[in-house]
Amino acid sequence: MEQELTPSESLKLIETMIGQAKSSFSRMSFYFLMWGVLLLAAMVTTYMMRDAGDAWAHGAAWGVAGALGGIISSIYGFRQGKKEQVANPMDRVVGWIWGAFVITMLLMMFAFAGTGRDPGAAITLLTAMPTFLTGQVMRFRPLIFGGLLFWLSGMVMFYSGNDTVIVSAYCIAMVFGYIVPGILLKRQEDGLRTA
Amino acid sequence: MAFAPLDPVLHNQLRLAIVSLLVSVDSADFNFLLEKTGATRGNLSVQITKLKDAGYLTVKKTFKDNYPNTRCSLSAKGLKSFEAYVQAIKEYLGSAES
Repeated sequence: MEQELTPSESLKLIETMIGQAKSSFSRMSFYFLMWGVLLLAAMVTTYMMRDAGDAWAHGAAWGVAGALGGIISSIYGFRQGKKEQVANPMDRVVGWIWGAFVITMLLMMFAFAGTGRDPGAAITLLTAMPTFLTGQVMRFRPLIFGGLLFWLSGMVMFYSGNDTVIVSAYCIAMVFGYIVPGILLKRQEDGLRTA
Repeated sequence: MAFAPLDPVLHNQLRLAIVSLLVSVDSADFNFLLEKTGATRGNLSVQITKLKDAGYLTVKKTFKDNYPNTRCSLSAKGLKSFEAYVQAIKEYLGSAES
């Protein structure tokens, strides 16, 4: 890479390099896969224990999943941060989006707990926003579709009074909104790493 | 029509590649630039130093997992020069087409 350039070669080189830098996103598939599996397990556990009458019927599984996911995410994020070769502004934007989501979700859980109402439908609707925005920022259609699915499932959960319908709507959103996009994203990330 | 002269600091394949990579990220480390440009370590190091001396890059040397790590980011002067360079080559290309 030493020789002088013609103006058209310069422009082509600039476009190629900018394209390469822009495609250098952090590995995010892990978060979608891990949270997808954890939250799906929490919902199924809560549903199966709904007649148990103890803490498991009243959200203990969500607490365990949330704490476990938070710890794993922090450790993984810290390790990834040390490994990252490039700091991409898009990563920062996605980080802020999910940070704002977590803050809003915790405040909503606190507010809902105070009134004794189930925050499930509202949190599912809220989950749609960061998922959809992440998909748009990354131009990754499965996540955009996932965001739309969370909006749809949130509305179904909001208006349905049937436990099985509510659980099914949530599980479908989690599988096709988090887990499947996570698998597809992982494939794409592995492909980029070996390319 | 008189054309603006092309910036000699940027009008070099490797230096232009480095600046183009850095223009859309906050910062990047030496290995990222090495991987994306396909340059040799020695040449990359020389060109980074030239860009740094011209005030186009900010270079931070730290340690990562007990190994030296060079992290580069584009300075305000570097960004302004890059924009002027892009404008200049667009003018060259525009005149070549007309």
